[in-house]
Amino acid sequence: MVSKKLAIDVLNAALATGADYAEIFYEDSHSYSLSIENGKVETSSSNLMNGVGLRLLKENQCVYGYTNELTRKGLISLAESLRSSFHDERKITVTKLDMIRVKNRNPVTNSYDGISREKKIALVREGIDEIESMKDPRIVRYIGSFADNHRFVAVFNSKGKWFKRDTEFGRLAYMIVAADQNGFETAFEGPGAQQDISYFETKVHAREVARKAAEKALLMLTAKECPSGKMPVVIGNGWGGVLFHEACGHPLEASAISRGLSCFTGKDGEMIASPLVSAVDDSTIPQAWGSIDIDDEGNPGTKRLLIKDGKLVNYMIDDFNGRRMNREGNGACRRQNYKYNPTSRMSNTYICNGKSTPEEIIAATKLGLYAVGFNGGSVDPTTGEFNFGCSEAYIIRDGKICEPVKGATLIGHGDEILKHIDMVGNDLALGQGMCGASSGSIRTNVGQPTLRISEITVGGRGGELK
Amino acid sequence: MKYDKFFALAKEAGIEEAELYIGESYSLSFSLFHSEVDNYSSNKSMTILARGIVNGKFGTATCDSWSNEHAKYLVQEIVNNANVIENEDPAFIFEGSPKYKKINTFNPNLSKISIDEKMKKLYELETAIKNGDPRVIEVGGVEYSESQESVTIMNSKGLKLAQKSNYFVYVGQAVAREGSQTKSGYELFLENDFAKFDVQKLAKEVVQNTVDQLGGEACDSKTYQAVLSPNVVKSLLSFFVGYADAEDVQKQSSLFIGKLGQKVASRKITLEDKPLKRNIFSRWFDDEGVATYNKAIIKQGVLQTYLYNLTTAAKDGVTTTGNASRGGSKMGISTFFLELKPGKKSQEELFQQVGNGVYITDVQGLHAGLNPQSGNFSLQSTGFLIKDGKQDRGLDVITVSGNLLDLFNDVQEVGADQRVFPSGIACSSLLIKKIVVSGK
Repeated sequence: MVSKKLAIDVLNAALATGADYAEIFYEDSHSYSLSIENGKVETSSSNLMNGVGLRLLKENQCVYGYTNELTRKGLISLAESLRSSFHDERKITVTKLDMIRVKNRNPVTNSYDGISREKKIALVREGIDEIESMKDPRIVRYIGSFADNHRFVAVFNSKGKWFKRDTEFGRLAYMIVAADQNGFETAFEGPGAQQDISYFETKVHAREVARKAAEKALLMLTAKECPSGKMPVVIGNGWGGVLFHEACGHPLEASAISRGLSCFTGKDGEMIASPLVSAVDDSTIPQAWGSIDIDDEGNPGTKRLLIKDGKLVNYMIDDFNGRRMNREGNGACRRQNYKYNPTSRMSNTYICNGKSTPEEIIAATKLGLYAVGFNGGSVDPTTGEFNFGCSEAYIIRDGKICEPVKGATLIGHGDEILKHIDMVGNDLALGQGMCGASSGSIRTNVGQPTLRISEITVGGRGGELK
Repeated sequence: MKYDKFFALAKEAGIEEAELYIGESYSLSFSLFHSEVDNYSSNKSMTILARGIVNGKFGTATCDSWSNEHAKYLVQEIVNNANVIENEDPAFIFEGSPKYKKINTFNPNLSKISIDEKMKKLYELETAIKNGDPRVIEVGGVEYSESQESVTIMNSKGLKLAQKSNYFVYVGQAVAREGSQTKSGYELFLENDFAKFDVQKLAKEVVQNTVDQLGGEACDSKTYQAVLSPNVVKSLLSFFVGYADAEDVQKQSSLFIGKLGQKVASRKITLEDKPLKRNIFSRWFDDEGVATYNKAIIKQGVLQTYLYNLTTAAKDGVTTTGNASRGGSKMGISTFFLELKPGKKSQEELFQQVGNGVYITDVQGLHAGLNPQSGNFSLQSTGFLIKDGKQDRGLDVITVSGNLLDLFNDVQEVGADQRVFPSGIACSSLLIKKIVVSGK
């Protein structure tokens, strides 16, 4: 840990050449992961990460560096190296550091550090036993895994503030490979939370998670190739929210908006979605996968209404990118670890509940696709062009869910697709994912209720939808 | 010596054999936005991957800095982790190859070029992109980065190997608009010889990659004969070569099971791993310390070998191919410099051969739209129509779908237009018999 006295000295060394803001990001994290493959413990691995990132800002310029040398000499040397980018007189001197206190919605209760390997193995083994009990010869490879991460962060900045954040995450996952004479299919299920191991003992059941993954892989073996072309698509709740995450979430991050590099730049207050759509990025959901009590710049996590009844009303903003927008940060500044320069990112992002039931949405669709499992996707925030791949989908005929199809990819432009949402369900759910961008890979929840897009381009090998 | 404490503690703790893999890097990067340095970064970092054998099982642990406390942590975690391992794979700490063919991949001249000179080129790049075409409305950013890296392997069997390398990258991104359509594009240049960098050439490529996409629209949904650009081929090859991973073959989850010596691709396809080719990707030992060598993986369509590390090779009773690669908590495999043998036809000749079809220049979302296990893919794409043997209008909002195995079997020609990519892959255009396009 960096002492307050040392932090003040490092900040002042960094500020000597005219930076208008300096910030020390200290991190000490422990993580552990294990995997059981085809019934036997295959890997068990521990990781220790300990370093400091130092960020200096001067108007719209940012200088960032990190080091593992956590001695006074190492940190002062980093400050001296970084400050050489600026050549002005000192503007700020830090004399004291007051602690920022925020509501702790994500307490570390029963730390994973104190839970034995054997107990974590036994948890994963429950799901492995379930897969083995299915005795299906088409399951050729099955991997169960558990990973936990205990991360302590302390941030000191030239506004005379400091704070600490202690968080823990656990994730249980199963990956199944099924094969028959026609080839292979895979399926993955991986629930995670910012909670202790009791979450996996009471709220998530390893056997159910593992069986769900296995059944999905087996089902996809029987699926036909997905038809292609433009068609109505009903997107299932939970992980279906990856559509909004890619098509709209990334372009609403200040890193793109502030530079005029987003398809939504300049559209503040305009209708960018169907009036049925309201959307939120909420860092405050207690113990959720993407929640933070306080962001990397010391701004408290907030619930941000991004779209209200189709109208664009807010963004994910960090203080640095906010400078170009004349806006304050709203608690969205995040990074993977001390090796990354932080920026505006999502937390728990979802489309809000509408009024239709999922059954009504399916019943109202004569011919289309029902997509319920997803592999993730990507977007170019500047053009809004996005894609996401479906791992489980079905054809809807005359308002009924029919045969499964595989290999569907949905594509489009973010600023157009939201306008084509014509039914929104009332079954909001969240799904846990890892989101990659310039400040690294971070935990985010995606989410939505079941909804329908009146027309979207579907890529697949199954020919025309009939 | 700095790391002796680890080996002494490992011995005391009953670790039979132990090894450290130490990666150290120094990196520098800066970027411009609107002719202002908006990001500057300078970093020194290390990664230490430690493993040891206890009762015949591997235990692993990693950290990112070094002290006696870290040495104690690694030893304790190796023992605790090894004690719960159940798989019966043979575990090896390698004593060393009889001979290594050392290649120098470090260019000392790069650090002699001043930061001012590197910065000057970046300003020139930004200006050249801005002025490259009237439809360019924004330079999304230009960035210079350089990295100096070293890999050291040392173990209790007395092996100590080290390789140092360096490189620099210039990258530019442009945004262009025509009517209501906006497109963004980028290009980069990777080398360790600064004299080879041509600002104007890179700027031209950035602009070309961006404005070429303007005016595109979807085409009819149907099956087309296609030319895939080297950029697309590179993305698909990185997955295709994965089927040669011996561990996946042994675990019954590869499309190359039982295919050794058999045809897995068109006769036009020869795919080689060339770790000893002299370029910035050269590696003369793999991540287990085994001497690397150049090898054909697929020769004229026929699978020549699977790719092995020591453990998977022992299980198959063969010699390792020197492709061990540390990734995550276990030893995997990777190629170091993958080269698709180029053909003789120019891109124009490939277009002429197609007559009417599509030219696919980019695919997106590989992690979501390509199933590495089944080889099935459906990917957001951009490109052009090929009409009467010539490049015609652009294609937008389309996907291309297929299966990797089918695609590489359907190769009718390999182009002569080889390009080398930062991922360590060299390849050229491919002419494919058929690909499913979803558009209108």
